[in-house]
Amino acid sequence: MDPMTFSIIRHRLFRIVDEAVITLKHVSGSAITNEGHDLMVSLYRADGTLLMGGVGFLHHLTSAAEACKAIIRRFQGQIGEGDVYLLNDPYTAALHTSDIYLVAPIHHEGRLVAWSACFVHVTDIGAMNPGGFAPQAVDIYSEGFSSPGLKLLDRGEMRQDVLDTILNMVRSPEMVSLDLRSMIACCNVARDRMGALLTKYTAPVVDEACAALVEQSEQLFRARLRALPDGQWQSRQYLDVQGETARVLLTMTKTDDRLVFDFTGSDPQSRHSINCTKWAALGGLFAPLFPLLCYDITWNEGVIRPVEMIAPEGSIVNCTRPAPVSVATVGAIQSVNNAACTTIGKMLAASEAFRDQATAVWHANHFAIFKFGANQRGGYSIGILTETFAGAGGARSFADGVDIGGEIPNPISRMANVETVEGAFPIRYLFRRRAADSGGPGQFRGGTGGEMAIVQHRAPAGGIDYVISGKGARHPMSEGLAGGYPGAPNKYVWVHADADGAPGAPDRLETIPGKAEPVSWGVYPLRGRDALYVRWNGGGGYGDPIARDPNAVASDVTSGVVSSSAAKEIYGVALSSSGAVDDAATSVLRAAIRSARLAAPEAVQ
Amino acid sequence: MQDSATLSYLVATDVGGTCTDTIVFGSDGGIHIGKALSTPPDFAHGVLASIESAATPMGLTLEDLLSRTHLFVHGSTVVDNAVLTRDGARTGFITTLGFEDTLHVTRGAYGRWAGLTEGQMKHPVKTDRAAPLVARDAVVGVTERTDCFGDEVLALDEASVAAAVRHLVQDKGVEAIAVSFLWSFLNPAHEARVREIVLREAPGTYVTLSSDIAPVPGEYERGSTAVINAYAGRITRDYLTDLATLLAARGYSGATMVMQGYGGLLPAAEAADRAVGMIECGPAAGVIGAKFLGDLMGDGDVIAADMGGTTFKVGVIQGGQLEYAREPMVDRFHYIAPKIEVVSIGAGGGSIVAVDPLTRLPSVGPRSAGARPGPVCYGLGGTEATLTDVMLLIGYMDPDQFLGGSITLDRAGAVAAVSRQVAEPLGLDPTAAAIGIYRIACAQITDLIREITVERGLDPRDFVLHAFGGTCGMLAAAFGEELSVRRVIIPYTASVNCAFGLISADIAHEYTTTRTLAAPADASEVNAIFAQMETKAKAQLNAEGIEPERQRMEWSVDLRYCRQVHEVTTQVHAATPLDTTGVARLVDDFEALYERKFGKGSAYREAGIEMTAFRLTARGLMPRPKLPTEEEGSADPSIALMGQRPILDLTIGGMATGRIYDFTRLRPGNEVTGPAVIHTPITTIALHTGHRARMDRWRNIVVTTDA
Repeated sequence: MDPMTFSIIRHRLFRIVDEAVITLKHVSGSAITNEGHDLMVSLYRADGTLLMGGVGFLHHLTSAAEACKAIIRRFQGQIGEGDVYLLNDPYTAALHTSDIYLVAPIHHEGRLVAWSACFVHVTDIGAMNPGGFAPQAVDIYSEGFSSPGLKLLDRGEMRQDVLDTILNMVRSPEMVSLDLRSMIACCNVARDRMGALLTKYTAPVVDEACAALVEQSEQLFRARLRALPDGQWQSRQYLDVQGETARVLLTMTKTDDRLVFDFTGSDPQSRHSINCTKWAALGGLFAPLFPLLCYDITWNEGVIRPVEMIAPEGSIVNCTRPAPVSVATVGAIQSVNNAACTTIGKMLAASEAFRDQATAVWHANHFAIFKFGANQRGGYSIGILTETFAGAGGARSFADGVDIGGEIPNPISRMANVETVEGAFPIRYLFRRRAADSGGPGQFRGGTGGEMAIVQHRAPAGGIDYVISGKGARHPMSEGLAGGYPGAPNKYVWVHADADGAPGAPDRLETIPGKAEPVSWGVYPLRGRDALYVRWNGGGGYGDPIARDPNAVASDVTSGVVSSSAAKEIYGVALSSSGAVDDAATSVLRAAIRSARLAAPEAVQ
Repeated sequence: MQDSATLSYLVATDVGGTCTDTIVFGSDGGIHIGKALSTPPDFAHGVLASIESAATPMGLTLEDLLSRTHLFVHGSTVVDNAVLTRDGARTGFITTLGFEDTLHVTRGAYGRWAGLTEGQMKHPVKTDRAAPLVARDAVVGVTERTDCFGDEVLALDEASVAAAVRHLVQDKGVEAIAVSFLWSFLNPAHEARVREIVLREAPGTYVTLSSDIAPVPGEYERGSTAVINAYAGRITRDYLTDLATLLAARGYSGATMVMQGYGGLLPAAEAADRAVGMIECGPAAGVIGAKFLGDLMGDGDVIAADMGGTTFKVGVIQGGQLEYAREPMVDRFHYIAPKIEVVSIGAGGGSIVAVDPLTRLPSVGPRSAGARPGPVCYGLGGTEATLTDVMLLIGYMDPDQFLGGSITLDRAGAVAAVSRQVAEPLGLDPTAAAIGIYRIACAQITDLIREITVERGLDPRDFVLHAFGGTCGMLAAAFGEELSVRRVIIPYTASVNCAFGLISADIAHEYTTTRTLAAPADASEVNAIFAQMETKAKAQLNAEGIEPERQRMEWSVDLRYCRQVHEVTTQVHAATPLDTTGVARLVDDFEALYERKFGKGSAYREAGIEMTAFRLTARGLMPRPKLPTEEEGSADPSIALMGQRPILDLTIGGMATGRIYDFTRLRPGNEVTGPAVIHTPITTIALHTGHRARMDRWRNIVVTTDA
């Protein structure tokens, strides 16, 4: 095909996705969509295979392809121009019930030629806990409305009875209605713009370009795999919930131009809602794979073809109905993200040519806190603490991770200003900053996570409540690479205020007066003078910490992101009272650390 | 004709990254143009050289011209340059205890990906934040706290402020201090007290308070604004002072007005303390210039496109209104200041054309050969083929008549480079490769313009496109047709459009009060907020010598649907002060505007509407230049016909014989039809079959497409 036309059509497909994302964010005024960028828009070919993935929550790209295919199977022969379908059943294709897919056929001159699909995390889905994550759910039936596929718009006409039925099952129906409308507007834009492209270049030419685009991605990805070493790499992730620990074990085997991800050895499904279904696990693999291995390749079906996944039935990564899955996106799926990031990172680090693409795990564990209650302006507020999107960068072979730098599966998130949150909720922050010693030590340090504390402030009801789905306080989840240490785990503390202590001006956990109680899972109050403290995990380190430039350690101590005890004990760096590196003492410390390792080799395994 | 001895002049000079442009406007209506290279970091010398280059052809010395100049209007890239080259003051930052990291963590990943291309965003392993303007160890938190109602929660610990100032100045050697506390825009008392303490402890330190420079919510962006202002503050002040001294030494005794990013002018003394206001004021002036022409020609809806050597910039005017940037950035730092939205991509005449070795996809830019070494055909040592070389291959440039024949273009060199870089890798002949690259450049620009119009809920088909800059004319008719704009205009003043914008701007002061009121609010409550701002504004304008009849007060209000994040600045059209009907109309206008911007059905009325900010633009009207016109005559352009040669005709998809015209010999009323090119002293206008270009009475070229 003519390379110029091919180049123009490819660029335009890219822009169509972009325009649809803009539309979606415009119509949905919600914070989770606009700040968290918790959304996805992609284009699919007539058979439902991925054509052009956009930048959003990347674990949805393949699941939405399965959603298209499920709709094609269910509605074969009845798919009309202007139809829009809804699907959110995790056992059919979705990740969890609150991430609703809208899937819309694109017709040209009467023929179905493509699909668009999008999702947002809707404000509520009618699960037993508000906001979509339901830590108290015992099965899928307690996780709200779920559909394996229904027709929401029939030839452009809203099926009002269907919409009303859905809205009748959720809290905050107006906001959910707006979420759905934003997705419909997004589908409309994708359809109109695709229509213009098809009219300008004709359907056969566009189809040829799309086929060539998929073909090209496959060729390029296979060539990249061939350029990487063959081998087998492993990663283990431990997820703790309510004192129980679940293991995700991933073995990645790369042979020639193929990749096999095998979850054999992972734990059986949990009674808690951290499980994920098969399609979710597949999406979880691809979320890091696209940006880590295909950063310069179009994200489409061609990238999917060389990859195979083995996920044992009934395991935490391929659970069996009716296991609960509402926390999957920040539970098992995120563990799959992390494990895949590690195995891919190990493979890249094993290659001289691609070592600079390797990264330790970024932000490994969302804390997902939804707060809700009467606000200080006479209304009612509900919403996620957007710090969960703030993340932490993993260290790389050439540089530290980015402090509070986001995450790989959702590359362009951000968190809200403190003033935005305090304006909308009756709460006050005591502090919000980088958390010392949270970045995984290494020759290159993992990016720090953060820490924050909030108290209620002038709440008309004396406080608010929150749903917390906080795993990962026991085991670090952001693995290091090439000898780097993992980042620090999450921490959640409810500080019960003393009966009549002075309020003071606490600026760290230790100075908040009261009795500390760890919390992590369920629904809790934030009332009176009590405080909620959250620390989120840092990124993994890269390389041996005792190989780190001592001046970089000194600088980290100065800016408060590494403690002087960690500098000494982990990095083997001695600092003078002015904070400068003591070279001689540092050599002695590092030599001592080496000898200790040699004396007890099993301790560093 | 006025006697030359009584002529007086308005001089406007715009300092851009590469060139410093001057436009001199005589009281007789004469327009004179000057150009010189910019001279960073001592931009003032380039300013004088540019003015002199306009004076010389007028038969005047620099001193002659300046002594007869009654007003000097200026725009400069000095602040952008200080930030980009990290040439500002050593700056410290004082903020609320517990929030010392706010600047450095940039609202999470936001500062890591903002300002990157989509391709870069898809490659997170290779992304980082920009190096900060303030070192982390020059940030100090002090005990104090205000809440979301502006009420004090914790008193300011003055002793720790004094200690912080001494630490920053004595131990860290800072020369400037920025101050930003949580909620200071509602209650600036603590920040104001810090300023007093700084001036007591370390007199001579440059201080910027966030509540002064950006009294709006959002502590990250507000703090970042204060830091940028402090960082570039002294450089800006020194620059404007030095310039005034230099001009005075050459005989200038009038006032100097400085362009702001929002498209209004400030007296130099005021501009000196608002460095952030000057960011990107050149491109803003370009949009103002386009608006002036649009108003003149009766076009309220204009897309202003400027394509020079390295970038393609585009701004939008809708219904005579300017669009403001939602999240302005300089380098990759966010700031809050009203700024006209100008979006750019790395595509210009110097953009290098290449084929990606991996994907074999041909592309234009974003790498650029710049002015040096420049395109291969300039023969200045450039070895990589650029878009300009492509233009030569497809017949849009005359090898012998470039820049009035001062340079002979190297066609053979250009052919060889395009062959090597594009044609051979793709198995095409050089001409076919050049045609393909031209199509790709058009498509990239089309996609960009679509994106920025769609982002605002606008349809390009309703717009007129103004094409500025040396490269734009070669592409504008083609991408204008693909966008289906109403017509394409290549203005007579296209080469110095930014300077032209300077002389068509008003003095303007922007005031903002942040307060949340449920809509529709009580009119008296809204009026009270504006009355306070108007009092301040009128005193300011009076002090600047603007008589009351030249003062205009324009009100606008930010509104939003409760529980939604998008705020829309809505102009008050009703008479002010408002009555109940006026407030109701404001709310109706907001709802209509919201639907237009965000699409039908996007409103969530059920939750109610609230007003969140009140904005006053106080204008001091400046006299508008009156452009000379000439009666339109015959359509026959043959007087300007220079010959013919093969040129690309996109309509037929290949090379065709095109007629070549000399712009300087065209007369108003003349009509040229494609395939043809019109060579002007600064650009080439390329017309394809179906395009019709007419010179209007202001000597603008107006291109329409035959239906």
